[in-house]
Amino acid sequence: MMGAEPAFPNFNPLGIEEWLGELAAGFAMTVYLYFVALIGGFVLGLGLALARQYGGRVLSRIATAYIEVIRGTPLLAQLFLIYFVPYSLNAWFTPDGPPLLDVTWSVRIFGVTVLNHAIFSTLLSLGLNSAAYQAEYMRGAMASIGSGQMLAAQSLGFTKRETLRYIIIPQSFRRMIPSWSNEASYLPKYTVVATFVAVEDLFGMAKLIVSRTFLALQTYVFVGALYLALISVIAKALDVIYERTKIPGL
Amino acid sequence: MSDAVLRVENIWKSFGELEVLKGISFDVAESEVKVIFGPSGSGKSTLLRCINYLDPPDKGDVYLRGVRLGDPDTDINKVRARIGMVFQHFNLFTHLKAIDNVAIGPQKVLGLSKEEARERAMDALRHVKMEKWAEHYPAQLSGGQQQRVGIARALAMSPDVILFDEPTSALDPELIGEVLQVMLDLAQEGTTMIVVTHEMGFAKSVADEMIFIDKGVIVERGTPHHFFTSPESERAQQFLHKLEELYGQSEEKRNTLVDRDA
Repeated sequence: MMGAEPAFPNFNPLGIEEWLGELAAGFAMTVYLYFVALIGGFVLGLGLALARQYGGRVLSRIATAYIEVIRGTPLLAQLFLIYFVPYSLNAWFTPDGPPLLDVTWSVRIFGVTVLNHAIFSTLLSLGLNSAAYQAEYMRGAMASIGSGQMLAAQSLGFTKRETLRYIIIPQSFRRMIPSWSNEASYLPKYTVVATFVAVEDLFGMAKLIVSRTFLALQTYVFVGALYLALISVIAKALDVIYERTKIPGL
Repeated sequence: MSDAVLRVENIWKSFGELEVLKGISFDVAESEVKVIFGPSGSGKSTLLRCINYLDPPDKGDVYLRGVRLGDPDTDINKVRARIGMVFQHFNLFTHLKAIDNVAIGPQKVLGLSKEEARERAMDALRHVKMEKWAEHYPAQLSGGQQQRVGIARALAMSPDVILFDEPTSALDPELIGEVLQVMLDLAQEGTTMIVVTHEMGFAKSVADEMIFIDKGVIVERGTPHHFFTSPESERAQQFLHKLEELYGQSEEKRNTLVDRDA
């Protein structure tokens, strides 16, 4: 029989409970970044997909170029580019030149900072980045619809715009859910780039807590579990939406 | 012929190097049923798509009741709304119920209210005996049923003419009859139709004129009687002979069905 002496006397299974407030705030910031970027990326992605698939020579090339550049460069580089633009410009301005660009602005609601230069840059880069990926999922769904329905709509007298609106888009939204759920579940993890421009998202908070407490194991496991919970809920919700909107018989 | 519903005048069309149509002309009169037939690759489907400008012809003109489709002042979408089209592969909108497939044109293009459009759609479905299936989605219907919805969708627009692009070629043999029956009924009610088909029984019973196309030109034209008793060109003779060889037996069966109801 061993004595009451534990094998790891220094092991404190929790030790992070006094940081729950920070973790909650970080989680809220991550969820906020995620949803705004996902929705912004959805709207822009739809435009890009339509432009690439149906936009004619010029528009489709512009959309293709945008998508390839975004997908071919690191998200972090895109964020830094956007984040440092005003700093770089300010560095070039001479004292008697134009006024310096403000990078200290912020929008607060009930004492919580919802927008400042860093958050805005993060939202913008995440949204612009996600749009490129979402566009490709949408385009895949559009391409799978086949030209027959397009011809049928046009021979009823539909304009191209009406055809897209009433025939193509409603079907491609349904069809894209399974593949698009990839992007919906990648994006929460990409929001960690916010930490690099000092936005206090969930991952940033974790780093902060670890630097103060050295409780790396339980902090990162706990934070990882939060990401997992968030993504599981999203995946389940998308499954339900997919089943509910499925076209009978298909 | 100034009373022509549709006038096709010297249509030329090529895709790259390949010349598909080489100067096709004909008129379609009110209530006329025109059957177009010919070997595969002869340009029949392309011709139909040139007629409603889904594939605008390179040369030549199409007039619908005197309005030139190629005219820059012509709103092609408005003209297309008056030319019905029925496709080989039905091309129903898969996300819409049968009734909505038929109602969406009258509602969005003709500007009817939702109720009026649905009423009109229901009439059209009754016309093709599909009213019981109004609430079903295309994927829940057989090919023959889908094609009848496709015909109802064209009918609901009250078009001046309906183009049929091999409407029975994609159907299982036992489903062809129900679609042909609907088309026969339409023909006998005086619907103006251009039908690309190899269903010679149908042609025999309702075609006013048959046009034989091969390699992008009209080789021979005439009444069904002319084609089935004394076709002049060797190519038409050979082609009709081949059809008979291939479909001879089922053709007879279908003719009896056609004759009984005719």
